[in-house]
Amino acid sequence: MFKKILLATSGAPSTFGAARVAFDMGKRYGAEVLVLNVMGVPTKAYSQVVNDVRTGEEVEVDEEYRAWVEEELKNTFEKQIESVEYSRIILTTGLPHREILRAARENDADLIVMGASSGDSSVYRKGYPGSTLQRVAKAARCPVMTVHRETASYWGGFGNIVFATDFSKQAESAFKFALATARELDTDLTILHALDISGKVLDQNEIEDRIIAARERIRTAYDLDGFKNCDVEVWEGVPYVEIVKMARERSADLIVMAHHSHELDPEKARIGSTMEQVILRAGCPVVSVSKPDKV
Amino acid sequence: MPEGILCNKTPIKTEEQLKLTLADKGGKQYYEELNNLDVDSDKLWASIQATMKSRTKTWLEICAHCGLCAESCFLYQVNGRVPEQVPSYKIQSTLGVMVKKKGKVDNAFMQMCMETAWAKCTCCNRCGMYCPHGIDMGVMFSYLRGLLYSQGFVPWELKIGAGMHRVYRAQMDVTTEDWVETCEWMAEENEEEWPGLEIPIDKEDADIMYTCNAREPKHYPEDVAEAAILFHVAGENWTVPSEGWEQTSLSMFAGDWECCKDNVLNVYSAIERLRPKRAIGTECGHAHRATVIEGPYWAGREDGQPPVPYIHYVEWLAEALRTGKLKIDPAKRIKEPVTLQDSCNYVRNQGLKNVTREILSYIVEPGYFVEMSPSKEHNYCCGGGGGFNGIGMYRAQRNMALRKKMEQILATGCKLVIAPCHNCWDAIRDLEEEYKIGIRWSFLKPLVIGMLDVPEHLRPKDEGEDE
Repeated sequence: MFKKILLATSGAPSTFGAARVAFDMGKRYGAEVLVLNVMGVPTKAYSQVVNDVRTGEEVEVDEEYRAWVEEELKNTFEKQIESVEYSRIILTTGLPHREILRAARENDADLIVMGASSGDSSVYRKGYPGSTLQRVAKAARCPVMTVHRETASYWGGFGNIVFATDFSKQAESAFKFALATARELDTDLTILHALDISGKVLDQNEIEDRIIAARERIRTAYDLDGFKNCDVEVWEGVPYVEIVKMARERSADLIVMAHHSHELDPEKARIGSTMEQVILRAGCPVVSVSKPDKV
Repeated sequence: MPEGILCNKTPIKTEEQLKLTLADKGGKQYYEELNNLDVDSDKLWASIQATMKSRTKTWLEICAHCGLCAESCFLYQVNGRVPEQVPSYKIQSTLGVMVKKKGKVDNAFMQMCMETAWAKCTCCNRCGMYCPHGIDMGVMFSYLRGLLYSQGFVPWELKIGAGMHRVYRAQMDVTTEDWVETCEWMAEENEEEWPGLEIPIDKEDADIMYTCNAREPKHYPEDVAEAAILFHVAGENWTVPSEGWEQTSLSMFAGDWECCKDNVLNVYSAIERLRPKRAIGTECGHAHRATVIEGPYWAGREDGQPPVPYIHYVEWLAEALRTGKLKIDPAKRIKEPVTLQDSCNYVRNQGLKNVTREILSYIVEPGYFVEMSPSKEHNYCCGGGGGFNGIGMYRAQRNMALRKKMEQILATGCKLVIAPCHNCWDAIRDLEEEYKIGIRWSFLKPLVIGMLDVPEHLRPKDEGEDE
């Protein structure tokens, strides 16, 4: 299921958590880890100049620069590269989200792993507003795993998966991915629906009726196909809080959610506020699924 | 007659030579070789005699040196109004002297011409509107660039740019396979959100053949997807050619005449092969100039027209909005002060000023559109036209040139600038990077998609969450 993992990294510490998880998965599941680094963002029309993704400085990418970046990456991830059987470094220039998607497509990746934030000062944002993650999560054919907090990456393999559903169409794909992962890796699975009552004052009977309805809906919507290690929960509250709480309670090592934003303007389309908040707060990797292809 | 390995009179014709030149970081060796490049005066004079037509001869003769063109030139305005930046001086001291001396000029003179032709003129043609005799220095500078290119005096990036066109028939290393693959990719990436979306390749007898700028498939294929989405929603019967899709012409900026002709013939042969009713180009100014305005003449077409009606993207968009093929949701119209950058190449040079304003009348809430001053055919160049944007050696001069556009934008008070031209879009992006005036800039396609009133049958079924 995880044969090819595409790790998108700038080589900066903000992506170390993602790298740790990607390589660890590579080691545990025998996957090939493709380390993608988008060295520079093109600027200045047709000129050969790019802005280095780390320093923002204008550079011209030639063989020497390429070799230097490759060396840097090899040094940064030296031990991890040694720990896996198959890995490869891919260097390119372009707009990060587009090149990540291009590499995932070209290599038929099963999973993209990346950090959640390149920081505000990053040249990623220069002239091309919107977060790389949001654009990747929206268009990727395969699931996208995000590791934001350093603590989310100290993880010893998957044992407990929380799948949070909002009953959207994309959540069906996310469910398939969660179930297939749980089955293949023999983990526990919790299906959670967080009933959104934020900002509302509801009658308690109504809340309880809705919880019952949601439980029923989970049972009918999601066919476990004989998978036993699964339980269903519906918690009311502010969705991202409930999802993070559930993950903590179950000591989850993976949260799976659906991504679905049709908003084109990246300034408005934060990744979907629930997803974004979960990524920022979760103590484990978060996988976003938006397409049915690679689940 | 020393010619360099990289800097010489021969255009880049092979991938090997292209890569060799590209590997010369920043053109270091190239520019060193330029210092020793000899001028072939006989060839230069022969070329002038063979190609300089009566219009240019007359213009050089009748210039009264009155200086009325001075204020018309934005480069004169932003560079301290020094006499050296007066358009008539710029052309008389370069092409004028070259002709007077019958081509007997030296390396230093040619280098001075090179800097003048590429860093002191963007070929925006504004001066031609203000000269009492109608002398267009921009046209003459385009001609001078051709003479300089034939002698090897051309900025490194443009030698490469023209070489790209010769080797890949595109301004960047995008092959036919890359292009076709990108179209398939973009259709696939958007098919869920836009059910039925296709990017038909090499469809014969379609109503529309669409051409674009190689930077789109190379760096922002979203633009190709956006074009597809708008054609799809408008219900157009359209196609893209697998060959002849690249509409731009860095060779025009470089002065590589032979390559210019090859570029445009490549596009026209796609038209002849696929027989569309008409062709539509992307939101690019110089691409339109190269294929629609000047191209027919390069191709030797007697009627001065492309093989089928060939319109700019803004013309199609205005038509689609006017006829109701595309409908705007009034609630989603732009409700903030917004200004428009008129592209020299299709506004001043082709008169499409009203078309863009018609589009704005549909997509901007009344009262929010603010004209730049001056505007329409009197608008100034973005500051990066004619190849200026991409030349590293003249970056400081280019950045200075952006100041005029900055002043114009600041005077509008707008934070959003619509720039339906790749070159203008780049220049305004760089302007923000350089001067940080807090603006946003956009092509028309993404703005229009964001405010479409999409017919029910084109929307994805089972929309999102139901909570």
